Amino acid sequence: MPAEYTAAAIAAPVAVVAMELLALRTGLFREARYWITVAIALAFQIPVDGWLTRAGRPIVQYSGDAVSGIRFPWNIPIEDFGFGFALVTLTLLLWRRQTQRAKVRDHG
Amino acid sequence: MDRWQYIGVLAACVAITLPLEAVVGARVYRQPARLAATLLPVVVIFAVWDIVAARRAHWWWSPEQVTGVWLLGLPIEEWLFFLVVPACALLTYEALGRAR
Repeated sequence: MPAEYTAAAIAAPVAVVAMELLALRTGLFREARYWITVAIALAFQIPVDGWLTRAGRPIVQYSGDAVSGIRFPWNIPIEDFGFGFALVTLTLLLWRRQTQRAKVRDHG
Repeated sequence: MDRWQYIGVLAACVAITLPLEAVVGARVYRQPARLAATLLPVVVIFAVWDIVAARRAHWWWSPEQVTGVWLLGLPIEEWLFFLVVPACALLTYEALGRAR
């Protein structure tokens, strides 16, 4: 049994990807700029999250029981990147769906 | 100064990405209705995750490093995080769309 945050940090990206592939079908994953956005977002997550979780005086602390214990880079729990990917991807999916709806409304 | 630690990080994120809207031409803040419709479900889903995780003590916040304004068991900074980080991602995505 993985720790609870570890399990959630794996389940959330899977759920968001499944939502696109099975339901929304916006085509987001076929866009290069989506993948570039994800790469940029995860790159900026490192300084931001690194500061929030910094060793010594963390702003956010994690229970050892809830995480795998793998921290990379610096003191960031590896799980946070699953959380970040899911947050950013869900946002872009819903934004794109809004855009497509508006196009249908304007031109359909 | 300590209590501005977390909110300061969020302010920096907003400041750094603002030129994407103001200079590069991404249209995110200028589509407030679309932005709100996108962010509402995101905030609800991630706030529920956050509230449950905080209740189950998966994580907690340094009381000295947040402003001290709490809403439904979360520091106000967490709520702002769920608005700021998605907005930064949308600005990046839209800025990349402008460049093509």
